[in-house]
Amino acid sequence: MFKKLVMAVLASVSIIAPASAQEKSFKIGLSNSFVGSEWRTQMIEEAQAAAKAWADKGVKVEVVVQSGNVDVQGQIGHIRNFMNQGVNAILINPGSPTAFNPIFAQAKARNVLIVATDAEVSSKDAIYVGIDQKAWAMQSAEWLSKTLNGKGNVAAINGIAGNPANEARVAGYREVFAKYPGIKILNEANASWDQAQGQQTMQNLLATYPTINGVWVQDGMADGAWRAIEAAGKVKDIAATGEIRKDFMTRWSEKKFNSGASVNPPGVMASALNVAVLKLMGKEFKDSVFAGTYGNAIYIPIPFVDANNLADNLKAAEGKPGYWSVTATVSPDQAAQFFK
Amino acid sequence: MTMFHLARRQPWLITVLVFVILAIVNTILQPSFVDPTVMRSNLSTFLPLILVAIGQTYVILAGDIDLSVGSIVALVNVVTVTVITLLGGTLGAVFGGLAAGFCVGLLCGLINGFFISGLRFQPIVTTFATGIIFAGLAIWVLPQAGLPVPDAYWQTYTESLLGLPVVLLVLIFGAIFTLVVSRLPFHTRLIAVGGNRTGAFQSGLQLGGLRIGAYMISGAFASFAALCLTGETASGDPLLGASLALSSISAVVLGGTALAGGFGNATGSIVGALVLGMIGNVIFFAGLPFEYQTLVQGLIVLAALAGGVFVTRR
Repeated sequence: MFKKLVMAVLASVSIIAPASAQEKSFKIGLSNSFVGSEWRTQMIEEAQAAAKAWADKGVKVEVVVQSGNVDVQGQIGHIRNFMNQGVNAILINPGSPTAFNPIFAQAKARNVLIVATDAEVSSKDAIYVGIDQKAWAMQSAEWLSKTLNGKGNVAAINGIAGNPANEARVAGYREVFAKYPGIKILNEANASWDQAQGQQTMQNLLATYPTINGVWVQDGMADGAWRAIEAAGKVKDIAATGEIRKDFMTRWSEKKFNSGASVNPPGVMASALNVAVLKLMGKEFKDSVFAGTYGNAIYIPIPFVDANNLADNLKAAEGKPGYWSVTATVSPDQAAQFFK
Repeated sequence: MTMFHLARRQPWLITVLVFVILAIVNTILQPSFVDPTVMRSNLSTFLPLILVAIGQTYVILAGDIDLSVGSIVALVNVVTVTVITLLGGTLGAVFGGLAAGFCVGLLCGLINGFFISGLRFQPIVTTFATGIIFAGLAIWVLPQAGLPVPDAYWQTYTESLLGLPVVLLVLIFGAIFTLVVSRLPFHTRLIAVGGNRTGAFQSGLQLGGLRIGAYMISGAFASFAALCLTGETASGDPLLGASLALSSISAVVLGGTALAGGFGNATGSIVGALVLGMIGNVIFFAGLPFEYQTLVQGLIVLAALAGGVFVTRR
């Protein structure tokens, strides 16, 4: 029964696929599992804009979105709804690295392309288009080490232990600091990617270690950490990583923080969309583009903000709301480089 | 007897009506809804919530509440996959994992029941706290998502037995369980405990045993949900099931059970859980902009709950 069904589906797809490729019209589902962050909203809006932009190239890309605070089961429901609706591809910011393997396998059997973004997945039936979280951390750890001239007392403030992105980032900065014998890691704390907790943790660190020279801190927690540094009157004595929201960059510029920030651009989903559309148009990936633990990842460039280009980034943010994040997207032309 | 009086005595009939309306709307928005494969995939999605809601009903009937069910699901999931891996991934190991997971669920229920009924702790606060403990244990057992289960496990779960999809068999099992239990003296006594605890005590009922029993049923059904989720995800994830606690309570109330206890039945909770799941689907197929999806979902759930409240108000 199941076999027959799969055959029937495959047969119908093989009839429809060439026709739709000719008309160049695709339907793509976007699944997002967390709505408590402006970054995610910006991610979806940029993907929608990227889909619209394909019209200029004569390709009609229709985007359907499912976004809500859902757990893994809810996101599996998203994928099922998309499949039942007959989408050509699904872009997902996944809530788990492993839990979607069976549903991705079912999607692939129905000839639906799955592209994960922002967090890697282990499924061989999906690809990942996004940043390498480890490289993201290494870039800013490298900046911090160089800023401290290779010596000093450093503390790290991380997100949630056990979260895959967090673990990759921790491995990244540890590897970099290990290269500099003069850098000593005093403490590594967790603050749940929460700005207020980041601030509190920084206060504790400042109270415990008066000789602190550098802080490596992730994402929005950097905003909180810098508030604690300001309150302690140590802006001139401490170098710390920053973040990429306009509000923070404005303070960074006004108060002359000694900071640098790796950018995890909200444009990752738009980048994934551009890659997906090219794949749907029948292009084949180059064999060499895939990397990562699971061998299914296409890593995209990670911009960096520091004193040299802070002014440019603030200029680009003009007219945007305060929560707007520095972004970058792999354009269709750049994405074409991934293909034969 | 008028329809109104019937609905007042059986408020879950309202939820059945809501379910039928949602099914019609869904079929209009998505004609393939009645397709057997689509119905099956929808049922697979809703099944964990249905199971958790069944277990939650008995706790609520006795006038208690269980906020730890989501964490029990996560703990059972990671214990099951860990045991299967430790035993070598054979068919025997799969059964060993299932048994271990089920026992963990029962044990969690026993712990909740012991604190609340034995030591007279307050149910909301206690299960909130034990939920944190169970979630912490889950992260301790499996710090990071992973550990794939043997293919036989999830393939069996997605296939058919005796000509019926496994997910449908699980639903039928749940429905029969609720119907059988509702005819047992246990059910009547549970309602007595929830409706008038002092009276139940004075008439000589074993309050402690009944309330602990309800928590153990809740733990057992949370473990069934976890085993289904393991079939669905084919791996372990310590952060699974986070939204199940409050969703299951909503499903129970939608199913016509009084949150204060003493009135209702678990069969209604099955319909309640189906309604909650269907609301999410209808919103998607209606093509709402993503900014409004969460808001509209909340409003529809509120409206569905209000229907029952207006009818049962005295």
